[in-house]
Amino acid sequence: MINRFVFVLFLLLVTFHAQISLGQGFQVNFQGQKQQGMGLAGTAYYQDGASLFFNPGSVAFSNENSVNVGFTPTFANTLYVDSATQQGYRTNSPMGTPFSAYGLFKLKDSSNVRLGLAVYTPFGSTVQWEDNWIGRFALTRLQLSSIFIQPTFSYRINEKLGLGAGFIVSVGSVNLQRDLPVQHPNGEYASAELSGRAYGFGFNAGIHYNVTEKFGLGLTYRSRINMGVSNGTAAFDVPESLEANFPDGPFQSSLPLPQVITLGLSYKFTEKLVAVLDINYVGWSAYDTLAFDYEKNTPSLSDTKSARNYVNIFAFRGGVAYDVWKGLTLRLGGGFGFTPVQAGYATPETPDANRLYGTFGLSYAFGDHFSVDASLYYTQLKRSDTNLETNLSGSYTTKAIAPGISLIYKW
Amino acid sequence: MKKSILTYILGTCVVTLFSACKPEFKQEENSPGSIDATSFVMIGGGSVSGFMDDALYFEGQKNALAQLIAQQLELVGGKEIHQPYVSQGSNGLSLEGNARFKLNYRTDCKDISALSPVRAAASGDLSILNDVLYNGQKPFGNFGVPDLRLLQVNEAGYGTQNGFFGRIMSAASASVLSDALAANPTFFALYLGVEDVLSYAKSGGKNNSELPSLSEFQTAYEEIVNAFIGLGCKGAISLIPDVTQMPYFTTIPYNGLTLDAENAQTLNNIYNPLDFYFEVGSNPFMIEDGNANQFGIRQILEGEKLLLSLPLDSVKCNQMGTLFPIRNEFVLTLEEIAFIQTRIQGYNSIITTIANQHNLALVRADAFYDKLQSGFMYNGVSMSSTFVSGGAYSLDGIYFNAKGNALLANEFLKAINIRYNSTIPALNAGYFNATIFP
Repeated sequence: MINRFVFVLFLLLVTFHAQISLGQGFQVNFQGQKQQGMGLAGTAYYQDGASLFFNPGSVAFSNENSVNVGFTPTFANTLYVDSATQQGYRTNSPMGTPFSAYGLFKLKDSSNVRLGLAVYTPFGSTVQWEDNWIGRFALTRLQLSSIFIQPTFSYRINEKLGLGAGFIVSVGSVNLQRDLPVQHPNGEYASAELSGRAYGFGFNAGIHYNVTEKFGLGLTYRSRINMGVSNGTAAFDVPESLEANFPDGPFQSSLPLPQVITLGLSYKFTEKLVAVLDINYVGWSAYDTLAFDYEKNTPSLSDTKSARNYVNIFAFRGGVAYDVWKGLTLRLGGGFGFTPVQAGYATPETPDANRLYGTFGLSYAFGDHFSVDASLYYTQLKRSDTNLETNLSGSYTTKAIAPGISLIYKW
Repeated sequence: MKKSILTYILGTCVVTLFSACKPEFKQEENSPGSIDATSFVMIGGGSVSGFMDDALYFEGQKNALAQLIAQQLELVGGKEIHQPYVSQGSNGLSLEGNARFKLNYRTDCKDISALSPVRAAASGDLSILNDVLYNGQKPFGNFGVPDLRLLQVNEAGYGTQNGFFGRIMSAASASVLSDALAANPTFFALYLGVEDVLSYAKSGGKNNSELPSLSEFQTAYEEIVNAFIGLGCKGAISLIPDVTQMPYFTTIPYNGLTLDAENAQTLNNIYNPLDFYFEVGSNPFMIEDGNANQFGIRQILEGEKLLLSLPLDSVKCNQMGTLFPIRNEFVLTLEEIAFIQTRIQGYNSIITTIANQHNLALVRADAFYDKLQSGFMYNGVSMSSTFVSGGAYSLDGIYFNAKGNALLANEFLKAINIRYNSTIPALNAGYFNATIFP
């Protein structure tokens, strides 16, 4: 079974890249269908292997071996309306493909130890703007992707208290494209493409405490991870006469993925009805600058440092689940998150705003071993801003919908 | 049965949600405010005509200041204006009979090849002066005429002395103003006075008597404005920018004379008796100045300007600026610069008064040029008044390229919107060409 599981993981790794622009900043919160159905919350409520992400401490209370593979195709569209020209421009971003895969194993029935392996995509985005859009010299396309691989160890101290921690290896990539304001003989604008692979390390730790039979508490800490690009490739498509000014070559950069502290609560009203609430505190202030350090500098190509000045934010997420009849569970939830992007710093790469969202979900268990979860997420947000660096001034309206599905096999 | 209904409902929901996933774009209604934009006429010099890269040519005219303003006025009820186009393939014509500039490689006297403005042809397209373009049924809206000075606007028979007007005039006896009024304008714009100060500055400050006195300026300007107001027009009039900020006057550094020890010594031997000193590295050029001393020569001072008309090959290879001081026609002295700036201020206070008297929109072109001088970001593009790389000026270093004209047109639209409560949207200047690189 474990062999089969590893094979599934391998397939996922080669097939998908996490590419979406959801969650605050470029954070993505699609790590478990059941949690997604309940407003993306579940830190204090063990439901399935997705708790390896939501709270490794909760995993201590699992009583199963399971494999859980989920996928949430994501469709996001942004409209930018320029305030001076009143022209509208849209993104043509490709479907986002965040996925998660969890394997959960107990060594023997009586053991207090649980082992898990989680693979998921908590950060990433691909924003592709329409051709010739007004902000083309700021950005035409940005693809960020990251895959976290997290082996996890959980331990149940007693019937009330569980602890867990996982080590995270993060593999990612970045690809940034924009036009340069110099024109080829045919009038086409020059362009730059920066691409590279990024790596980072971190951890995810959590405590789960059952205060009473009905009331649960969870506290987790996911560490900051610096995704460093040490050997990126900068490629310039410029007129022949300017090739010496824009030499192709290596560059360095890094992107911090922020730490997240979460306090979770759960309450079982009845055997059939449960409610959860998560409060996230996200350390976005780590993202203060986006810098590119080119190995070959020229008078036209100097290293860049763009202020981002993100701020730490809170997000509130909650939802309920109700067992309608045997095997069928319905879920409903929603949340609100503050934007980490301050006034003057909204960019075409993350046209972020305070956001309200709603979610819906359902599960059906086919017997004792196999079950299917599905969820649906919807949000819309609007941000008006004048960027201090580029002077792009206008409003971004984003709508996003994300239906997700996961398959679980347990034994 | 139950299952298929559920599938149907779910399916419908998903389809609805997916279509709801694209934000709706509602184009704002644009209001003309209190102007009647139906028939627009603009009078001015090179910028208004579409003169750029030191020539009047088709692509320049397509992006003429008058054309770009008219284009946006069309969004609030304006009609498309007629323009006196030069034929599309033409290399254009400068005031001196040259073809337009293009950016290309040029090999200098030292056999060094570098990017430089180069004429697109050995001679300009003089044939355009034979054009007879006037059509009473389709009067022009663009009365931009390269080199048009203020006092010439109301000069009968001006077409016989300026062929650029000759090709569009209604009759040999016509004036620019009479033809503009005959176009039945409902709204007008003026960008005048620029060519007057430019012609003085481009000559290296030679004939300051050719500049209109303040009272001449006032009389002529009022005459023009009154003529339009007599027709019931509303309008926008622009202040004059400080032309000495243009790259034509700022590109060649005053201290661009780079010397090695040997050359510095040679020059010191010659000039030390006159109290001029040279050192290794950068030095100020030698210029002619009749008032300087008995020889009428001195070193150029910081802040003084060398004009782009300076023959650089003579500087590089034939001791111009060292043994042979640079002639006055290539230099603006501090005194001349102060004179130009004071005169521009004088003209501008007259224009401001006239705008206030007649409740016209006052365009702050001067402030825009100042802003360009200090540099600014426009939708991610850094703009400045630096030659070529600054993005706004054409290759003549005086007139804007299409992108620069679009930005200046936006200043006109802004002033109109403020004065007449209209909501004419700005042009996306990023859409317009700057310099094309080989």
